[in-house]
Amino acid sequence: MATPENNGLTRHTAAFGLALAVASIVNSLLVVAKEKSPAVLAGMKNLTGHHWITHSVIVIGLFLLLGAIFARANGGQGVRFTVTGLIRTVVGGVAAGALIILGFYLLGD
Amino acid sequence: MNEVILMAHVAFGVACLLATVWVFVDVLNAAPANLARIRRVSRAAAVFMWLAFVIAGYWYVVFYHTDKAIILKGPWPFAHNFFMESKEHLVILLLLLVTYLPITAAGDLAASPGARRVTLWVAGLIVGLALMMEGDGATIAMGVKMGLLAR
Repeated sequence: MATPENNGLTRHTAAFGLALAVASIVNSLLVVAKEKSPAVLAGMKNLTGHHWITHSVIVIGLFLLLGAIFARANGGQGVRFTVTGLIRTVVGGVAAGALIILGFYLLGD
Repeated sequence: MNEVILMAHVAFGVACLLATVWVFVDVLNAAPANLARIRRVSRAAAVFMWLAFVIAGYWYVVFYHTDKAIILKGPWPFAHNFFMESKEHLVILLLLLVTYLPITAAGDLAASPGARRVTLWVAGLIVGLALMMEGDGATIAMGVKMGLLAR
């Protein structure tokens, strides 16, 4: 439910926005980890048969799990954000995740 | 058949993009009268994106290795080494954003400028990333063509 304290944002909007930012960063760090470590890549292949499937499951699962956790924070009222703070968190997380991936394949791979 | 599967993934990606642009414009004009439509179309965008993602994932795991070999032997190896490698991971960000869109759209967008701003930013990120994915896909497809022409 939207409350004045949340500036009209529902607790799920705030919670899953934060979860999205975290999952975006984890997504990009997992790319670097599996590309740099044959052991990590092999482990991810063994889990589902293909590293990309494992990667997707981990990141999507993390997003859903963290969203549920953050929505229950603060005694069930969810994490708190100003509108600008939430936008910066989401945009920053996605931008950072994208730049890490692009930078890695452009320069680091 | 595998070409039809590939084209289906592109079609659903475009459908997601168009639905998101619709949401963006509708949210700019959010009012009690169009809230239900905003929520329906944002959910449709998410459904289209999940379909595009699952179809693409299937095609990638089962069929892409053939195209990959052609690209790497041709004059555009970057079509795989950069464009496909980055696309297959950036698209996960896109999937998260589109899954998040109906969550933001579930708020009272008519009454809350803050909720509208968040939804507009998310929709804007989706459109930008989706266009990037379309461009990446086109480059990958061209990499296959260049590889075949070079034979």
